[in-house]
Amino acid sequence: MDKSMTWKIGLIIAVVALSIWLLWPLNKTINLGLDLKGGMHLIMEVVTDEALVIQTDISATQLKSMFKDGSIKYEKIVRKGFNRIEITGSLLDDERRIKDILDDDFRDWTSTFGGSLISLTLRPNIEQQLRDQSVDQALETIRNRVDEFGVAEPTIQKEGMAGDKLLIDLPGVDNPERVKTLIKSTAMLEFRSVVSGPFQTEEAALKDYNGQLPEDLEIVRTNPRRLDKGFYVLKAATVVPGKDLKSARRAQDEYGAPAVGFSFNSQGAAQFEKFTAANIGKLLSIVLDDRVESVATIQDVISGDGIIHGRFTVDEVDDIVLVLRSGALPAPLKYIEERTIGPSLGADSIRKGLMACLGGLLLVVLFMLVYYRAAGLNSILALLLNMLILMGIMAYFKATLSMPGIAGILLSIGMAVDANVLIFERIREELNMGKSPKSAIDAGFKKAFWTIFDSNLTTVISAVFLFQFGTGPIKGFAVTLIIGIAASMFTAIFVSRVIFDLTYGRRKKLAKISI
Amino acid sequence: MRLFKEEPKVKFINKRYYAFALSGLIILAGLVLFFTRGFNMGIDFSGGTLIEVSFLRSTSIPQVRSILNKINLGDAQITRIGSENKFFIKTLASLKKLNLANTVKLEDVEEYELVAREIRSGMLDAAETDQVAAGKIDLNNTAEGEIARFLRGKALSDEDAQASAKIIIDLRKSNTGVIADFSALERAGIKHRIMTVLRDNTFLSKFTFLSVEFVGPQVGQDLRRKAALACIWALIGMLVYIAFRFKFLYGLSGILTLAHDVLVSLSFILFFNVEMSLQVVAALLTIVGYSINDTIVVFDRLRDNLKIMKKDDLEAILDKSLNQTLSRSIFTSLTVFLTVMSLYLFGGEVIRPFAFTMLVGVIAGSYSTIYQSCSWLKVWEKYFLKRKKS
Repeated sequence: MDKSMTWKIGLIIAVVALSIWLLWPLNKTINLGLDLKGGMHLIMEVVTDEALVIQTDISATQLKSMFKDGSIKYEKIVRKGFNRIEITGSLLDDERRIKDILDDDFRDWTSTFGGSLISLTLRPNIEQQLRDQSVDQALETIRNRVDEFGVAEPTIQKEGMAGDKLLIDLPGVDNPERVKTLIKSTAMLEFRSVVSGPFQTEEAALKDYNGQLPEDLEIVRTNPRRLDKGFYVLKAATVVPGKDLKSARRAQDEYGAPAVGFSFNSQGAAQFEKFTAANIGKLLSIVLDDRVESVATIQDVISGDGIIHGRFTVDEVDDIVLVLRSGALPAPLKYIEERTIGPSLGADSIRKGLMACLGGLLLVVLFMLVYYRAAGLNSILALLLNMLILMGIMAYFKATLSMPGIAGILLSIGMAVDANVLIFERIREELNMGKSPKSAIDAGFKKAFWTIFDSNLTTVISAVFLFQFGTGPIKGFAVTLIIGIAASMFTAIFVSRVIFDLTYGRRKKLAKISI
Repeated sequence: MRLFKEEPKVKFINKRYYAFALSGLIILAGLVLFFTRGFNMGIDFSGGTLIEVSFLRSTSIPQVRSILNKINLGDAQITRIGSENKFFIKTLASLKKLNLANTVKLEDVEEYELVAREIRSGMLDAAETDQVAAGKIDLNNTAEGEIARFLRGKALSDEDAQASAKIIIDLRKSNTGVIADFSALERAGIKHRIMTVLRDNTFLSKFTFLSVEFVGPQVGQDLRRKAALACIWALIGMLVYIAFRFKFLYGLSGILTLAHDVLVSLSFILFFNVEMSLQVVAALLTIVGYSINDTIVVFDRLRDNLKIMKKDDLEAILDKSLNQTLSRSIFTSLTVFLTVMSLYLFGGEVIRPFAFTMLVGVIAGSYSTIYQSCSWLKVWEKYFLKRKKS
């Protein structure tokens, strides 16, 4: 055996060993997709516009207080759309000082001055940054919640071209309304003064204001699980913002019913104390995610701790505590897609996928053996090695095997032997032209190479487009196909050649080959 | 073994007009269907809710429909899966249709969840509905974690709760998804003590939801555009690559052949009313990448033959190239055909639209390589040969 043969065989053995090593142990290295394992798949869009609205509101408030501090007169400072603030009034006198304020503290905004109107617009790069941040923060918050809820091996990642969608895969959850509520809650807890209510309808609530609500008031509906269905008119401003909430816990009210306990940090406690002291006897509402959860009369000065009571079940209390603890979502979420696959369907799909793979493999093996005899056996060895490498690489990349992935593996089987068919047909042709077996093998491999290369590359090109276009499982299919084809370039051309050389190479006179 | 003892000598090119006519007819029929009936859009593209439900007892489509009629969903699309008691229920229904808009509407529950929930409770009979109202859970429609949590709430130890939940789910996996009665659970090894808890606090309905899928309406439109774009870009990719490896006119013939394969596949999808979904698009794109392969084999040979057979006319050279590579064109497609066939037969209902599209595409691809790719070159012979000489 010559030297080049030694390293070729060495390489093949190394590849086999590496693949087996990557694949071991099989049940740990190959991740099954949700369609095979059962579970819940969600795609949600983070409504990043809302995050910008909040940011713009904060900036507008900041601007108001700075104007107040500098005793700059203005008529109105309002938010327009999600990324603009408009200042109106006779601003010409103070233009210099306004410019100073904007230059010092509002560098993230571009401003246009127009006499009685100054409008600020968030710089596009800052806007994008804020959007990205809110998506990242949403992802982090959801991860916390899912972890606390105790789902094994969840996948939570960004998805989509704009990067504003989140893909959430939760294996093993198949009756998921509770999980979804948990994920979706923005957990914006607010304490707000009640002006009037409850009303049966929104129209009734508006009646006192002739249908036009003043800017500092807001109509908020009740959460029908806790209170009777209806509406309250609340002050728009929150007494204590949610960020001053220090902790939340399961508690009981004076009758022993489940309730949510909470504590403020020192800043929140001071504010709450001041507010309750000034408003004894009045109504206070607790608003979670824009729904009135509870309304209570302020009976005493409250500072650090409190409880929210209402018609809670123990589970509901636990869930509210969980979302309050995991932090607020920076922006609301919108469901784009949801797929829930039960465990029995997954088990059934695995059985069927395996059957299809074995069936396909068997048919191809039979065909190659019958049609190409010994050479067919050669291609089957190459094919099995191809499968091994394919699985090994998938294990290395921690790829997820789903039903489309299984289809990809099957197609790889069919396409991998194509290279062998091309080579063998070429060898037959060379033999027909009267060449000796050895040079026919040589010519067969050499001449078929570029054809195989071209045709495999075209398949890869379209698989790349498919990868670009597809979501989750379809991406998995494209990846499987690309890996399978790449592996076939090695097995069908290189390995298959080595097997030929090993079989026929040492014989001095070779009159006939089985092909 | 050999398909042809000697090199075949079939005259393909002079039958090109028959081939063009046949393909044209298929595509025309497809177009007519496209404009009259349109595609049977899956929820990937149309949006909506798709539920796969399995019944314990033998159930027919009219029976399922009468259940759905009760909740105003009688016009949902119901498909039986094979000959089993499993069905797909597809609906675009909204709350208004369900007459739910005026009942207590939970704002934190999405509309489609209510649709699925409504269908689920519609399938329960009166006795089962009472059990739900009494706070019992349905072991056939509750997840492992939820069952375990529920049992813990009934004063079972963590260990017992988890072990029992696992036995219940495993039993559902091995059955059709529906557990018939409590004795089956007992036989599966749940302790007597726990069985008492289960009998008191849970019940077994006669069906299970195998899967519930929802796609929002805004996704579909976006996806349709993206799917079409992906196919077009892939075709252009092929054109560029072949034009680069061969010559422009080869590339043009190549993508006309490919466009033919895609259009014929789409036509057959329309003929058989196969559901248009993401996986069908995946199959179409795979066909674009795969079906060009045997065309490349032929073009490779053609390029060689054009150098060798300088004196022959183009038609003879084209026929010769096709005949020389005929067994290759057939057998490379055959191996893929065999694997896709296996997928179609054994892979189950979920993957069948993909397998169907691939089957049609592979056959169309093989046929078009033989009857179309070179025929196109013959059609613009004048330009093709001129370029060859220059």
